[in-house]
Amino acid sequence: MSCWSLLDRCCEKCSCTLNNPCSNFIDCRITGPLCHDDEQCRELRTRRFEELRYGETGSKIRVPIASCTLATGSEAVYNAIREAVGKMRLKVTVTITGCHGLDFIDPWVEFTAKDMPTAIYGNVKPGDVPKLIEDYFIKRDVSKAFVLRDRKGTAAGEDKVPLLEELDFWRKQYKWVSRNCGFVNPESLEEYIANGGYKGLSRALKEGPERVIDEILRSGLRGRGGAGFPTGIKWRIARQQSATPKYVVANADEGDPGAFMNRLLAESDPFRIVEGLTIAGYTVGASQGYIFVRAEKPLMARRFQIAVEEARRHGLLGKNILNSGFDFDIEVILSAGAFVCGEETAMLAAIEGKRAWPRQRPPYPAERGLWNKPTVINNVETLAHAATIMAEGANKFTEVGTEKTKGTKMFCVTGSVQRVGAYEVPVGTSIRCLVEELAGGAMGNCKIKAVQIGGPSGGCIPANLLDLPIDYETLQSAGAIMGSGGIVVISDENCMVDVAKFFLTFTSAESCGKCVPCRVGLRVMWNILNKITNGEGSEEDIDTLRQLAETVRTSSLCALGGTAPNPVLSTLRYFMDEYKAHIKDRVCPAYVCSALIKYRINEESCIACRQCALNCPVNAIFRVEESGKYRIDEKACISCGVCFTVCPVKAISKVSASG
Amino acid sequence: MKVKIDGKEVEVEPGTTLLSAAEKVGIEIPRLCVIPGLYEGSSCRVCLVKTPAGRLFPACNYRVYRDEEFVSNSLDLWEMRRVNFELILKFHRIECWQCYRKGQCSLATLSKELMVEGIPVCSECPLSPSECLLQKGILCLGMITQSGCRAECLFSGGECWGCRGPISRRDLIERAFEHYIELGYDVKAVISKAEIFWNSLSELKIVKEAADRVVDRE
Ligand SMILES: Cc1cc2nc3c(=O)[nH]c(=O)nc-3n(C[C@H](O)[C@H](O)[C@H](O)COP(=O)(O)O)c2cc1C
Ligand code: SF4
Ligand code: SF4
Ligand code: SF4
Ligand code: SF4
Ligand code: FES
Ligand code: FES
Repeated sequence: MSCWSLLDRCCEKCSCTLNNPCSNFIDCRITGPLCHDDEQCRELRTRRFEELRYGETGSKIRVPIASCTLATGSEAVYNAIREAVGKMRLKVTVTITGCHGLDFIDPWVEFTAKDMPTAIYGNVKPGDVPKLIEDYFIKRDVSKAFVLRDRKGTAAGEDKVPLLEELDFWRKQYKWVSRNCGFVNPESLEEYIANGGYKGLSRALKEGPERVIDEILRSGLRGRGGAGFPTGIKWRIARQQSATPKYVVANADEGDPGAFMNRLLAESDPFRIVEGLTIAGYTVGASQGYIFVRAEKPLMARRFQIAVEEARRHGLLGKNILNSGFDFDIEVILSAGAFVCGEETAMLAAIEGKRAWPRQRPPYPAERGLWNKPTVINNVETLAHAATIMAEGANKFTEVGTEKTKGTKMFCVTGSVQRVGAYEVPVGTSIRCLVEELAGGAMGNCKIKAVQIGGPSGGCIPANLLDLPIDYETLQSAGAIMGSGGIVVISDENCMVDVAKFFLTFTSAESCGKCVPCRVGLRVMWNILNKITNGEGSEEDIDTLRQLAETVRTSSLCALGGTAPNPVLSTLRYFMDEYKAHIKDRVCPAYVCSALIKYRINEESCIACRQCALNCPVNAIFRVEESGKYRIDEKACISCGVCFTVCPVKAISKVSASG
Repeated sequence: MKVKIDGKEVEVEPGTTLLSAAEKVGIEIPRLCVIPGLYEGSSCRVCLVKTPAGRLFPACNYRVYRDEEFVSNSLDLWEMRRVNFELILKFHRIECWQCYRKGQCSLATLSKELMVEGIPVCSECPLSPSECLLQKGILCLGMITQSGCRAECLFSGGECWGCRGPISRRDLIERAFEHYIELGYDVKAVISKAEIFWNSLSELKIVKEAADRVVDRE
């Protein structure tokens, strides 16, 4: 057992200190020692790597502490594990980690030991913990595990449990930026470095800014925040500006409902983003960086704060980083919390302490941004990509992807699917692969009707186009956007007009109100959709809707208004029949719009349990004397649907109000 | 810097807005929200112009730093400006009869330029709110009549007879009827005066319905 950490000096001969940093520090920790040769120093490193993997005691339990796992109770599991390990006097290290993105197995835990296969247990409850620990560490039995990460042939039941990389939802992913997520301790700089961290910055500082820009350009990296602007070009424009000082900003204001890849990445591997931001700062010639974090994601903000402080404490931020003469520091800023704060110019206003209003571009921030100085703004995933590209090389990055967009992208698949989660796949993967093979297809007996890609301002792609590859250009021509990578699966139980209205409810409420098309146009469009779902629509409404959508899309000041009509335009394009049914026949084909449906009790199947009558808020259900069964008084019924959900034998059905 | 707008070239200082560049060659671009030097937030979006490639920019806010070309006069631009202006009017409480701007406002001016209907004759009436004929017991139809006649009848000392037909917004018609009732006029009298010119118009029905709703509410 040792207490030596990779970040400490290995012996007296190591000359690296905060005041006199060594430019080879990172390489030296991994493959060193470099400046001197000593068997003992080398051994120290090998031993430490082993300890980081299996714990100082040879056995380790990792519990994910990230917002998604906390929501399902991983903190209680963590405490239960600490308690059980203590009571059983086991020599097991318990640490925290981030999240794999496999939300359907939350909360999970990972058990590992030198002579045992690494096992992941899914959907763990605190009560299960003692039994699981006993099985694994004492009986050496892994048969209850959800998956194994390797096989060693040393445990009972090994052959009954599949390997993680054999399963579709893992095998079809390409873990590039998210490689560390769920595997390392996100609060430990040491673990990050042990897993290849800071190699990118180290290389960048040695090769110089121009070479960094070349490498990023060669990788073809495009911004992952939505618009897909080539990152290398953005950096070059900012670098060429003569005005100083310059700034770099990481955009961690992820605000799309249904998108959580940025949060997951930042909570699971924050150092990668800090490293990426440092590289960006070095490349454009900035000495101050900001991380703009959504205040509603406090754990993400805390992890960034810890990462920045740790990096500063070990000389990876501050003066003369790795003896390169480059000074750089980062401040974490909490966002004001509106969706529009993620828009780059609104974000700059917020950082300056003003109201978060977008402003008209040009001038673009790379020319005039924070305090009118050149400013690079990048999405956190973009920055993490940049750090990884600098470490692994552009060639590796370009191995996957499409002609126009290289590399991978993280997507969040939510909605009516079996395996809600965040998946990283090569750009150009088909929607079908993501939704069916990775996320497991539609939930229950439903069928997929459409997928909404790109968040609330994306577009609905119908099921017959699921084979489209996901890249910026294809999605754009299909009427959706890449956005930040949120994918909401819509099943045949949803009404598409209602879906369009739902997204418009969000965007019209989130409009900052600065420009007319977005502030008023979206509100008027919402009113029309509301009219249609109430069965009061007319033929002209469709034309008005289309004209308004076109005007809002093209003439809004920022991309919030510029993309908000997408759900309407895309549903008009692919689901016109549903609009027509609402308008012409006054029928909601999916039986969702409450003004257009009635509830009816089938007396044959009714078992006279009286549940519906007891729960009806307006006492609209009465007993029919002759049969003893129940019936709905259609005049009194307000179509709330309570009876439909409480009936134990599904004797209540929805019928069209007009029919 | 040379800017070309609708084919006309003009030499300007770097940093000049497109709006002033256009003015130099006598091109009037409609505008509403801009107060040069004070507010250039480009909110109203009625000054939009486009590049030959079709990218839209507000002329009030776009500053020229290199030689560029723009189009300010095309059907789709006018259409877009009109829709945006209509959106602004949509939630504006148009009651020119008692508004102290009395039509001397950019909304009334722009509505003519962009040919947007919905502003009543009162916006063109020469009488101040306190001189309004309705105050004197003379039944004037200005409140519910579409403007554009430059209030000829009012200028010649008479009242509005509604020859241009009713304004299109139902909510404004309803407000006008509320005002008629407030001032002691009989709704029936208003309708029968309106029928003189509007008898053959299908919009008369809308006006009558609006009147009924107001009466019901009262
Ligand atoms: C309404 C709105 C919200 C946005 N939210 C985010 C966000 O949460 N995160 C983000 O990275 N980019 C967001 N963007 C995009 C940013 O404006 C900007 O394009 C991006 O941060 C640039 O980084 P990239 O080049 O790395 O993609 C948003 C844009 C708009 C219009
Ligand atoms: S839908 Fe609601 S209001 Fe109607 S009968 Fe059922 S519970 Fe009562
Ligand atoms: S005069 Fe102008 S500001 Fe006044 S109510 Fe009429 S349109 Fe509005
Ligand atoms: S006199 Fe007639 S037109 Fe003039 S303000 Fe009064 S109602 Fe309007
Ligand atoms: S009668 Fe006709 S022309 Fe005369 S003021 Fe009224 S609307 Fe104008
Ligand atoms: S929200 Fe983009 S300007 Fe209105
Ligand atoms: S005048 Fe309002 S946007 Fe230009």
